[in-house]
Amino acid sequence: MDIADFRAGLRAWFTTHDLTPPPAAPADVGAHVAQLSRVRRELWDAGWMRYGWPESVGGLGGPAVLRAILGEEVAARDLADSGFFTLVEILVPTMIDYAPPELAAELVPKLLSGAEQWCQGFSEPGSGSDLASLSTRAVPQEDSWIVNGQKVWTSLAQYSQRCVLLTRTAPGHGGITAFLVDLDTPGITIRPLRTMDGAEEFCEVFYDDVVVPSSRMLGQPGDGWRVATDILPYERSTCFWHRSSFLFSRLDRLVGEAEEPDAGAIGSAYLSLYTARARCRETVRRFDTGGKLGPETSVDKILLQTAEQELFDSARDLIPGAVELDDESPWRQEYLYSRAATIYGGTAEIQRNIVARRLLDLGKEQ
Amino acid sequence: MDAEELNLLSQTLAKTMAATPSGPVLCSALNELGWREMLAETPDVAVPLVFRLLGETGAHAPLLADVTGTGTLPYAGGSWVSWSREDAEILPVRRTEAGTPLSPEALAAGRRAAGWWLLGTGRAMLELARAHALDRQQFGKPIASFQAVRHKLAETFVALDGASAVLSAAGTGELPALLAKAAAGRAALLASRHCQQVLAGIGFTSEHSLHIHVKRVLVLDGLLGSTRELTAEAGRLVIDSGAAPRLIDL
Ligand SMILES: Cc1cc2nc3c(=O)[nH]c(=O)nc-3n(C[C@H](O)[C@H](O)[C@H](O)COP(=O)(O)OP(=O)(O)OC[C@H]3O[C@@H](n4cnc5c(N)ncnc54)[C@H](O)[C@@H]3O)c2cc1C
Repeated sequence: MDIADFRAGLRAWFTTHDLTPPPAAPADVGAHVAQLSRVRRELWDAGWMRYGWPESVGGLGGPAVLRAILGEEVAARDLADSGFFTLVEILVPTMIDYAPPELAAELVPKLLSGAEQWCQGFSEPGSGSDLASLSTRAVPQEDSWIVNGQKVWTSLAQYSQRCVLLTRTAPGHGGITAFLVDLDTPGITIRPLRTMDGAEEFCEVFYDDVVVPSSRMLGQPGDGWRVATDILPYERSTCFWHRSSFLFSRLDRLVGEAEEPDAGAIGSAYLSLYTARARCRETVRRFDTGGKLGPETSVDKILLQTAEQELFDSARDLIPGAVELDDESPWRQEYLYSRAATIYGGTAEIQRNIVARRLLDLGKEQ
Repeated sequence: MDAEELNLLSQTLAKTMAATPSGPVLCSALNELGWREMLAETPDVAVPLVFRLLGETGAHAPLLADVTGTGTLPYAGGSWVSWSREDAEILPVRRTEAGTPLSPEALAAGRRAAGWWLLGTGRAMLELARAHALDRQQFGKPIASFQAVRHKLAETFVALDGASAVLSAAGTGELPALLAKAAAGRAALLASRHCQQVLAGIGFTSEHSLHIHVKRVLVLDGLLGSTRELTAEAGRLVIDSGAAPRLIDL
């Protein structure tokens, strides 16, 4: 299916299928997750959610760019939380590339169709930016692995059936191993953490003598670092396109709601967002034509996170009080969430380190 | 033109710009290389290539008039300048009486060209600063090893790459050209500030070439509308139409 047909067909479908979310408080993560499942299920049943994924995991084939377009149309209608909707973009490719094929064929459709939620257990209390220092251990025992340790900031863990988990099986970068773990396995304790935007989005997750079958290993022992870094091309193509579309919808909303919109501030937010989008299109196209994505996508990340914060800073300036006085204003939650844009997925500083080292070739840091 | 031909042409142009005195002499040399024919036949290739290379090589020639059809050009603040056919250290641009307003197409074409020039100038400054950072030692190590220096250069790189994407997307149309010039101006101004800081004392001298690029950016930014003015104009347009034009689609 080509892009124009896909978009036209999808738009026509939306005119007869109203997936508008029921009213919910901006910080009600449970409601967002329920809506997310509903949207995925409907889009899966109608086939839209299956395009751009290979047949081996229940997809209908076609280029990945179709998924970016689906994300854009979902964002334009505000049907699902933009960050949550694109989680599949970073979970499913891992399964396709690293899970045993039967496992991927069995489980990926459950995720894509909204029957399940999955999460990503990478960060630990002692390992944030320095992810490769992680210490949650996995030790082999017969045809299983015994996992012990603690993860933190695991988004949506309390709503998830499964988790892509990074563990330590040997020293160094080459000693990290990934598993797909069922979260109802005995020994797993999930404790939601409240975030500054009033939501319970991410959790602490404790693993005590958790038995994970060897068949749930993603790749081979020691492939975990590659599993983690291979996600980036997806995060930074289809996900970013979706995010930029979401941000454009918020710029439109801002222009509509601001009583005295300041042309300089609106223009500057627009220019930043438009720049991120122009860059993102180049990246999506390159990816779609088989190009390899690497450290240059840190440029995309910096442009997008900067644009996001500038946009919500302008919203706060131009709709005075909405962020800090109006508890129920969506601007409040979205403004606060935008503060995390320079933290998750590799901090702003880490991105600049990558640009300096890998793109500018400035050699080692002090 | 295929990639190899383009590469060859690019090398020839860059060599000519580096070896020829700026101004009318370079203009004649570029005409001999077929600049005007290229501009007439393949402006989408000619303008980005030639103006970016002017910036990167630090040369100048009165080519903007070929693109806009006039050497009398609107400048920031509602003023006007004329671009004379002579050499000058920075650019032969002087204040003048108000001229005839440019057609929207000519204005857009001029903004795209000036945008590519700004981008090339930004890249030239980044290259100077990068080389200096690797070369210059303080506290017993290259200053390129200090994170504060690295991040300034990284931010410059990001801004220039972003502007390059906006320029590449500017095909035709008035708003895309306006945004392209604004993005390029914004990136080049940032590059001026960061690169000046990294080059420090030596970059403040008239012996070092940085100041030529810095001053050229100031002039190019003011030409055909400054970053600040263009950004506000884009903002007014968004406000008046009640939504931000996406312009770019997959
Ligand atoms: C909303 C949200 C959702 C998240 N979801 C998940 C999830 O689902 N799964 C998951 O695994 N993780 C998740 N994370 C965690 C996220 O990946 C980490 O927060 C991030 O990697 C940074 O780690 P840290 O918070 O420990 O900060 P630290 O690494 O401790 O960094 C603290 C500060 O020091 C700076 N710093 C660190 N190292 C350097 C350096 N070398 N050079 C310069 N500066 C440096 C950082 O930039 C930062 O400013 C989420 C985070 C947020 C905010």
